[in-house]
Amino acid sequence: MKGEKILNDGLMNIFEAHGINRRDFLKYCAATAALFGLSEFEFSSKLAYALESGSKKPSVMWLEGLACAGCTISLTQSLHPPVSSIILDKISLRQHDTIMAAAGHMVEEIHDQTVKEGGYILIVEGAIPSADDRFCEIGGRPFRKIVEEAARKSKAVLAVGACGAFGGIPRATPSKGISVTESLKKAKIDKPVINISTCPVHTDHLVGTILYVLVTGNIPELDSNGRPAMYFGDSRLIHDNCRRRAHFDAGEFLNDWNDPRQKDWCLLQKGCKGPMSHSDCSIRRWNDGINFCIDCGGVCQACGEPSFYEHVTPLYTVESESSKKIMAMKKAGMFTKEES
Amino acid sequence: MAKKITIDPVTRIEGHLKIEVEIENGKVKNAWSSGTMARGFEALLTGKDPRDASYVTSRFCGVCYSVHQLASSRALDAAFGAKVPWGGNLIRNLVMGAEYIYDHPLHFYQLSALDYIDIMAIADYKGNDKDLLAVKDKIVSLVKAKDTYPLTPRYEPDEFTVKDPDIVISAVSHYLKALKMHAKARNMGAIWGGRTPHYQNIVVGGVTSFPDINQVARFRSMLDEQAKFISEIYIPDVLAFGTGPLWPLAQMGIGGGHHNYMSYGDFQLDKDGKKLLFPAGVMKGLNPADIKIDTVIPERITESVKYAWYKENKPVHPYNGEQIFNLDKKNAYSFVKAPRYEGTAMEVGPLARMIIAKNSDILALVEKGAKPGAVARHAARAIETKMVVDACYHWLDQLQTEMTKPGFKIHDTEHWDPPSSGMGAGFSEPPRGALGHWIRIRDKKIENYQAVVPSTWNASPRCDNGVRGQYEESLIGAPVPDPKNPVNVVRIIRSFDPCLACAIHVIDPQDNQIRKFIIE
Repeated sequence: MKGEKILNDGLMNIFEAHGINRRDFLKYCAATAALFGLSEFEFSSKLAYALESGSKKPSVMWLEGLACAGCTISLTQSLHPPVSSIILDKISLRQHDTIMAAAGHMVEEIHDQTVKEGGYILIVEGAIPSADDRFCEIGGRPFRKIVEEAARKSKAVLAVGACGAFGGIPRATPSKGISVTESLKKAKIDKPVINISTCPVHTDHLVGTILYVLVTGNIPELDSNGRPAMYFGDSRLIHDNCRRRAHFDAGEFLNDWNDPRQKDWCLLQKGCKGPMSHSDCSIRRWNDGINFCIDCGGVCQACGEPSFYEHVTPLYTVESESSKKIMAMKKAGMFTKEES
Repeated sequence: MAKKITIDPVTRIEGHLKIEVEIENGKVKNAWSSGTMARGFEALLTGKDPRDASYVTSRFCGVCYSVHQLASSRALDAAFGAKVPWGGNLIRNLVMGAEYIYDHPLHFYQLSALDYIDIMAIADYKGNDKDLLAVKDKIVSLVKAKDTYPLTPRYEPDEFTVKDPDIVISAVSHYLKALKMHAKARNMGAIWGGRTPHYQNIVVGGVTSFPDINQVARFRSMLDEQAKFISEIYIPDVLAFGTGPLWPLAQMGIGGGHHNYMSYGDFQLDKDGKKLLFPAGVMKGLNPADIKIDTVIPERITESVKYAWYKENKPVHPYNGEQIFNLDKKNAYSFVKAPRYEGTAMEVGPLARMIIAKNSDILALVEKGAKPGAVARHAARAIETKMVVDACYHWLDQLQTEMTKPGFKIHDTEHWDPPSSGMGAGFSEPPRGALGHWIRIRDKKIENYQAVVPSTWNASPRCDNGVRGQYEESLIGAPVPDPKNPVNVVRIIRSFDPCLACAIHVIDPQDNQIRKFIIE
């Protein structure tokens, strides 16, 4: 999967790959306008026109299935870069039912046209029902079929959120939601899928992955669960970078949320799954670095792991399968800090 | 002859919604609202540790997560016998307040505005405003590149569409600004909620986030920026549109529906929860001259499944609701159940809240000739957003004082462990309207869990008595001169701010600072 070229080498892509942005390029052109015997204005506007109409933005299609729109909200809350610049400047967002102006049959027309063109990046939010197709239909068509058809003609597939990446909460419901990877495998469709898990997808993980793909034309390195290694992977254990880690080592576990003395103690006894969760949440944090689950006294529920939610319940005790594993590892001395 | 048209998907909403309308003589004669996606959360919760509920039900919806966490926690509070300390309630108010602040402007700009403006009019902007010229450049460059997705295609502009380049370009620049403000407002909630979407701090008994003074200061500073945006941009825009170009639509009262309104009331202003920012009440049939509001009696709520894809059953109270799917059921056309209050279909949401509150601005609008409907819903949102902003300042002050007192508490630790048995209901007023969660506990596990959410009330199909749901009723009589261009249909439906994933979670198996609406 790694290293697959998924974008056309449009003019701007070449410039951008060399770190030259559009504005800088225009500045350069304006400065050399005289050489062509034109006014700066004439030259730059002609060139801008040529560039705008010549450099086709990569097309992106976003589909939502058994989902709550939380991942869509993660997209819209991107501040750096602002979501408007992603949507209007960087990609041609053909379909996103929560954002697009079109409705009803127009959506189908755009969808069909985009599929016909092929070569787009497909983003799937939500799981796909496996119990019965009728648990999710759009325009009278099963969501499963819509995804299969769109995946076949795509360049790459991003499965976002716990639901899209691993089935998430819908996996445990009667609709029996399955991941995008599982669904495509069943339909014998061989397409690279990038799993960007957590519930919901982290804004930075989502935007970063999209930008990585656009800028490099490649799929990022993935971990054993198909997640971008730059955000997940074995070396990114939430527990290792948790601010409460010293209290875990010292055996200090929070019991009472009212006690200012215990405020920063380890949340293990409240069901924290940080010791088995891979993501950079504890370093990157959420919402522009303002906070993350553990620092609000909440508990890491391993929402980025394939085990979420079926194997992490009950959430607030040490009785879940996941917590039992953590307790066994703890007993075996596996969390002893190595001298560095 | 009547012509039937289907809009599927209805876009710029949350979730999957299909609307079918029958058009005769240029007007909607009949309508059907259909939710086309279901997961099955209640079935999932059966047999689980009750404390899972507040976390899991947050995932009903990624737009209005905190309110589900809150209503669920309140249902658990009742069932566990937990008494939330005042500090915990203040933080619960503040994170839900942040939800109003991001949600209502998002609805107006991102989800609705494109129904009312002709975005291509921007090309004709002749002014010199630097910021607006930048917006023009952006749109014009998209047009030149022949790639105006996702802003086009769209329904054709009609006689109610705003085409004045100055107004349109300013609206679009505010659209872009609102996106940024939306993201920033979400960051406010993350100060105590850990992150957004899906806060982590609201649990049975209170909250988990022990506040410090820096967090209070940070929230306040972010609130200042939002307050400015809301007073200087959002409210004036809603006023300008509502009383200007959209005034004819307001006078026609398109999208009015049944004119029955309900609010559970919310935002606790005192320790007992007796004093509320938004009062509770129910009103059947609107008569502005004689507004009669009754107390909500939750026992009078039932849900009908006659036209929904569930096993046949008589209408039952949510405590006794069951969720056994029947996807082959004849005549069923939605995954949404049909909740009724004393057998009557109700509108819930901002307009219902402001009418129940006898809000003077809304009443002034009605007095001037606006009929409660699609346009009034936008106005009600703006009015209450301002009320919540002002209240947030008040709660911040209170929290700041409270947290310096010795023995300050945020959580009822005595009632953290599930009781062997119990039952409880939790009510809330999220941006979209009346929300109720009901839980029954047996052997320390969830025996039954039910939620009746705002969009279930509004988006419901017909009930046992054949009475249409509020979306359906609101469409009756809407002008659709060209069946190929049913723009009024989507205007009406979007004015409710549909949130369909919430509606289908089952499966189984003030102040007076707001400027008066000036109508010339």
